[in-house]
Amino acid sequence: MSVTDLAAGRPVEASPNRRFKLTFPMLLLGVVALIVLLSIARVVTGANDITSGGTVSAALGLAVPIGLAALGGLWSERAGVVNIGLEGMMILGTWFGAWGALQFHNPWAGVVAGAIGGALGGAIHAVATVTFGVDHIISGVAINIVGVGFTQYLSKLVFDGMPGGGAKQSPPVPPMSTLSIPGIGDPLRTLEAKHWFVLSDFAGLLRGLTQNVSAFTILAILLVPLTYYVLWRTAFGLRVRSVGERPVAAESLGVNVYLYKWIAVLFSGGLAGLGGAFLSIVAAGIYRDGQTGGRGYIGLAAMIFGNWRPGGLAGGAALFGYTDALQLRQGGTSVHALLLVVALLLAAVAIYQLVRQGRNKAALITGIGAVVVYVVFAVTDTVPEQFTSFTPYLTTLLVLSLASQRLRPPAADGIPYRRGQTT
Amino acid sequence: MAAAACGGSDSTTSAATPGASAPAASAVKVGLAYDIGGRGDGSFNDAAAAGLDKAVTELKVEKKELEATQGETDAQKEERLRLLASGGYNPVIAVGFAYSAPLGKVAKEFPDTKFAIVDDPVAAPNITNLLFAEEQGSFLVGAAAAIKSKKGNIGFVGGVDVPLIHKFEAGYEAGAKAVKPDIKIQSKYLTQPPDFGGFGDPAKGKTAAQGMYDAGADIVYQAAGGSGGGVFDAAKAAGALAIGVDSDQAALPAYSGVKDVIMTSMIKKVDVAVFDFLQHFVAGTVKEGPAVYDLKAGGVDYSTTGGQLDDIKSQIDEYKQKIISGEITVPSS
Repeated sequence: MSVTDLAAGRPVEASPNRRFKLTFPMLLLGVVALIVLLSIARVVTGANDITSGGTVSAALGLAVPIGLAALGGLWSERAGVVNIGLEGMMILGTWFGAWGALQFHNPWAGVVAGAIGGALGGAIHAVATVTFGVDHIISGVAINIVGVGFTQYLSKLVFDGMPGGGAKQSPPVPPMSTLSIPGIGDPLRTLEAKHWFVLSDFAGLLRGLTQNVSAFTILAILLVPLTYYVLWRTAFGLRVRSVGERPVAAESLGVNVYLYKWIAVLFSGGLAGLGGAFLSIVAAGIYRDGQTGGRGYIGLAAMIFGNWRPGGLAGGAALFGYTDALQLRQGGTSVHALLLVVALLLAAVAIYQLVRQGRNKAALITGIGAVVVYVVFAVTDTVPEQFTSFTPYLTTLLVLSLASQRLRPPAADGIPYRRGQTT
Repeated sequence: MAAAACGGSDSTTSAATPGASAPAASAVKVGLAYDIGGRGDGSFNDAAAAGLDKAVTELKVEKKELEATQGETDAQKEERLRLLASGGYNPVIAVGFAYSAPLGKVAKEFPDTKFAIVDDPVAAPNITNLLFAEEQGSFLVGAAAAIKSKKGNIGFVGGVDVPLIHKFEAGYEAGAKAVKPDIKIQSKYLTQPPDFGGFGDPAKGKTAAQGMYDAGADIVYQAAGGSGGGVFDAAKAAGALAIGVDSDQAALPAYSGVKDVIMTSMIKKVDVAVFDFLQHFVAGTVKEGPAVYDLKAGGVDYSTTGGQLDDIKSQIDEYKQKIISGEITVPSS
């Protein structure tokens, strides 16, 4: 019965030329196309930094904390608990990460401590929202405030007396070793320096991804497919998601809704804590008050951007990390080259809308957008500093606004659930 | 009890000891409000703290310190100043330009309290402005960078895009160009106001500096507060050099692991200014309005810790003399 129901319930919009399934070969093709596009922009503008190994490696470093926070958000929201407290849990992670690494003279001890610190924030959120049914937003905001205050208190207590530490920062944290695929670093660097069309860009990408990558980064990347596997391919994951879609139905089938929500929110806090630990141990090498700088919120946005899916949120985090790396490294020139990429992309979308979808009006609007961006690109030499720093936000917003029609949060996301309720 | 009756002034301390009519030094209660970063920032808050500590030991003043938090509003800053002033602390010192507007308001509410603000020209009859000629010190380290740079390519990382940090950049640029007119100078501000996160985000400082080293720079000057540590890390990873700011950063324990990449630091003697102000207060000779600490007054300087500038010190000192004598005027924006 459910099959026919579903078919009937999903009308015309399911026609084949409107929705397409993203398959692996298509994804690969998309990546290659994007690199070609970037390469064109690089050759035309001479902004060689946009595909350099340094940029790719910096993008990776900036994307990881956001991606981990987003994964944290995914776990919690898939179980139906909105987690706006990610920022606070991340702050706890930065402090506990640095503390653990310093206390045990081992960065990996910091990683564990960071996850535990974040999970502590998760536990507060779970007590409030799951056990006592408090509004999710209120509890989350409270955790963000508590996270700031608690870590400041702890810093004064612990770091203040240490040499090089203070009430606002820790002493330098023992560094984490980095890994490289041996033997290809120098040839890739040589190839990259030739600035050949497409070839050098691939060399830059490869060099950024394979040289001097911290083991923590690899762990973080592996957590994305792992989360996908656990949530979508195991019975445990199915139960977690059922709790976020229809808790009443899950309860009636014998799932302990409170327990699964608790577990998911704890994992959520742990992942956000890992993101914080990455910031203090790998990205900065020091704990500093306020160093998260709102990355928890951006993680939340990346998760929505990714349509509550692990692959999507990884893409969102990568996009944000990449554009942030561009603007931080070379500012105006790189962002200026990015304008050409955006113009070309918009033009491609316009053609797609016109030819494949027959949406004339939409194609016209997108086309005008492409022309406007191109004109801005053509009449300027660089983007002023005042604008470059919000490039990442603008890009994310742009993609979100184009993709927002297709987003679908878990059905019971953010709705408090009391055991035994019937609707 | 009997002593309190004849003392007439604040009652808590024994009134028998002070001999003269001037306020007893032991009765002076100093309130100090830090900027983001606070004690232990290895930068200018620490310098202010050092000045205060010196006053505590040498002038026997009492102190009360309050810290700021990341992302706070002006209202919170006003509240902090009001708390100090209404708590009987006099004088009250506000560290950092972020207190400009809040102090402007609060100073009017407490006309009998003396205020001092570091780095800001906000005017009132009871405010002393402790200002620095950062551009002059930055000129010297800019000249040093240009002499030492092998690639003719140097960088500047500013924390937040505000007028105060523009002074550092302008002086640095002028100094470098005085040595080598065709030198390439890369420049980056980490955040735009009102986002002051750029003073406390080492990961961003590191990324920005890495970008500059990758693009050919071999020396980067940072005026980025707490983000500056990231710049030093990037310099170490790239096998290049960096220039510190505010304190003699190569001598600070917080940067002991990267001290060999810190070629020099532009020193801004906030400690001297704070101590000076307190000394004047205790002596009853406080002057309101701007007090500029420049090269001539010894308020700014460059450091030679580590000995990396030993071979060019005479050249830098020549520039220093020219600035002091007025032969060179350094632009401040």
